[in-house]
Amino acid sequence: MDMSQAAAIVLSVVNSIALLVIISVGLAVIFGMMGLINLATGEFLMLGAYMTVTFYRLGMGFWVAAILGSLSVGLFGIIIERCLIRFLYGRLAAMMLATWGLSLIMIQVVTLIFGTSTQSLPTPLGSFKIGGYSFSDYSVVVDVAALAMLGLVYVVFTKTRYGTMARAATLDATMASVIGIDVRRVNMLTFGFGAALSGLGGALLSALAGVVPTFGQQYVGNAFMTVISGGAAVLTGTASASVLLGGVQGLVSNASTAFFGSISLLLVAIVLLRFMPNGISGKWGRRF
Amino acid sequence: MNLLLDKTRTLPGRIGLTVLAVVAALAVAEISSPFLAQQWALWIIFGQLALSLTFVWGYGGIFSFGQAALFGIGLYSYGAASINISPITGETYSSLLIAGLVAGLFALILGYFIFGIITLAVTLVLLTFMSSTGSPDYHIGSALLGGYNGMSGIPPLGSLASPLNAGYLLIFVVALAAIIVFILDLLLRRPIGRALVAVRENELRSQLLGYDVRRARLNAFVIGGVIAGLAGGEYAAWGQFANPAVFSLQQAALVIIWALVGGRRSLFGAFIGTIVIQEIQNVMGGIGGELTPLVLGGILILVVLLAPEGIMAAVYAFLQRIGLRVGRRPIASRPTVATDVEEHRPNSAGELLATDVTKSFGGVHAVKTVTAEFHPMTTTALLGPNGAGKSTFFSLLVGRHQVTSGKILLNGRDITRLPPHRRAQLGLGIKTQVPSVYNEMTVRENVWLAAYAKKRNVAESDAVTESVLKDFGITERQEALVGDLAHGQRQWLEIAMVVAGHPEVVLLDEPTAGMTRDETSRTVDLVKQLAHGATVVVVEHDMDFVRQLDSDVVMLHQGEVFRRGTIEELRHDEQVLDIYLGRAVTNASDT
Repeated sequence: MDMSQAAAIVLSVVNSIALLVIISVGLAVIFGMMGLINLATGEFLMLGAYMTVTFYRLGMGFWVAAILGSLSVGLFGIIIERCLIRFLYGRLAAMMLATWGLSLIMIQVVTLIFGTSTQSLPTPLGSFKIGGYSFSDYSVVVDVAALAMLGLVYVVFTKTRYGTMARAATLDATMASVIGIDVRRVNMLTFGFGAALSGLGGALLSALAGVVPTFGQQYVGNAFMTVISGGAAVLTGTASASVLLGGVQGLVSNASTAFFGSISLLLVAIVLLRFMPNGISGKWGRRF
Repeated sequence: MNLLLDKTRTLPGRIGLTVLAVVAALAVAEISSPFLAQQWALWIIFGQLALSLTFVWGYGGIFSFGQAALFGIGLYSYGAASINISPITGETYSSLLIAGLVAGLFALILGYFIFGIITLAVTLVLLTFMSSTGSPDYHIGSALLGGYNGMSGIPPLGSLASPLNAGYLLIFVVALAAIIVFILDLLLRRPIGRALVAVRENELRSQLLGYDVRRARLNAFVIGGVIAGLAGGEYAAWGQFANPAVFSLQQAALVIIWALVGGRRSLFGAFIGTIVIQEIQNVMGGIGGELTPLVLGGILILVVLLAPEGIMAAVYAFLQRIGLRVGRRPIASRPTVATDVEEHRPNSAGELLATDVTKSFGGVHAVKTVTAEFHPMTTTALLGPNGAGKSTFFSLLVGRHQVTSGKILLNGRDITRLPPHRRAQLGLGIKTQVPSVYNEMTVRENVWLAAYAKKRNVAESDAVTESVLKDFGITERQEALVGDLAHGQRQWLEIAMVVAGHPEVVLLDEPTAGMTRDETSRTVDLVKQLAHGATVVVVEHDMDFVRQLDSDVVMLHQGEVFRRGTIEELRHDEQVLDIYLGRAVTNASDT
């Protein structure tokens, strides 16, 4: 194997890891901080993609459109938390089912508005070559964005007032409210933050894949496997699960086909959860 | 009416109901059009799929997202089997059987690894896979998988020469569904069913009594898999095609909506839920098919918000209000008047040895190289201030936590790495610090499940229950719901449950917390009595209690054994008093 081939493989493995990060970090924030499995995660990605397409068509640049797309999904998340989720705290199955209902509704509403035809965006930026292998500059942007998203999560939860309160609420909601933290408000913001991250993931993906109403369903399975395999620790859990699952997926995809790549991801996740039912971070004792 | 309802709970009553369902189907098939018969057959098939989830969810406590996938596996299995086998055998019933078995096997393999949300991911991967098998390379024998378009040319149910017509198919699916409900009903009276109910109600307590939680769940999941697979096979025979749409998220959601609307408390509700939702879909389909997902999503949210127990629960509540005895099946047998009270005291006391047991959480050593021997027929009191590691030590002994290092022997057998239920089966019983009981059940059922965990025999468990209830003086309260009891009474009940399991070593973690003085002194008597036939270890803060026990004392401090001796010796030990009174301590390790 020559150097350029090795570099190409490394780059594509890094890419599959980065993809897992951007689709799952929003879900991970909501799962890790609120214990809620948001089954509408795929549709938050989808909404982020559609909003980005919409803003782009309104004449904004791709990057501005992506940021606005992400923020609008965050706002949407806050509305959903106020209107639906807040009635269901403490009922894990109920929250999953309600968000599933939400996901069905979102798919259909988007279908009614945009139709089923594929909306697509040109991939921004150019491409570069390593040896005989061509890569788009944008794939590097996605890698950097994945790191930046993890960094953002770190900064928000460790360096801001809200983040400290959110972690306190995660550890002991009763205690947190006793010392004067408005847990309901914190939950609302956390859900909104997670939704915005999912929206950003969708925005980034909109330049890579055709945007259709069922857009989210291609990613949601992988997002769940990553987050559940990672366990409750938002940052370290998601990062380590992404590296493990994305690494295996990338390597297998390289050696065979993308289909076997996703099968291998599934198998690794299943076996991992047999022996670590609470995920990789399940025994770390630290919830972040 | 109530008499009639009670009759349907007996075995002949259930058989009668099963026959009744089939006769009703016969009548419907006779009078209705083939079109209607076909539609009803489909609904019953879907109802059976919903039933598989109701069972897995309601009795296994697993919220499975994978029932649609198991249904799909059954669907394709029937297709592949019937296309290949029916030319040889001339019938397709065997293919239906294969569908059930393959789905059951798949559930067994999947369930060995995971349940829960990941089953949804498995479903999605199956969708991707099945949709991409369009090439003729993908085939099972002479059956082409057919990719997105699916498998066609699947023979209907029956003999090849004369397959079942719509009317007979309806009768067949109703009969099969009725038989399945009947068998489930029987199963729930067997050990496997009682273990399921115990696990559903309180996982921790069931484990500590000796029920194998994982196994119980897996059993339920596999049974659910077979039921879903059979339904899938019937569906293949019904439509004579199989396509990957069954693996879609929407199909998975639909199964959950059916079961949710029916409610998990009633197996029968699954069919009601399915029929209600399918009827709504029928009507919606007439108005505008594209609104269907909106309506389904809306129903899902509304049911979760407004009727989380499903409509059957509401119906039951109504029927109970007008005075009918319906709903929850009693777990234990009804109290009998004259039972021979058998001698239930444990007659073999065990020996429990812990050697250098250490447990670290991150950098904190909650328990540090603790060595303790608990010999047969002795009582030991474990003392120590809050945070000394007493409860953690107990958790290590029963297996709720794994030791970081060290060894635990029960009767000479190394149990260090055994799961909690195995240790319980070997004779370790524990009353936990916070009482862990079956709150939704009666006092009698609680004691009965504890006895049954050990005996695995209804008659013997009845006898043990009778005598434990009597000995503990709770016979009058036996029909009370445990959730309604006072804290002290629940403590007392939990001790009774531990005793009903006939343990050789009894661990009691703060048994008298929340008890009245009278209850406390009864507990002293009880512990003394227990020590005649078992090894007892008690964690207590109540010094009076410990003094009355007059037992050996092991005192823990900061995770380590600090003193051993009698309570009198410790009472005069200045360092012990320092620790308890929070005075400055001369111990070097204490900073």
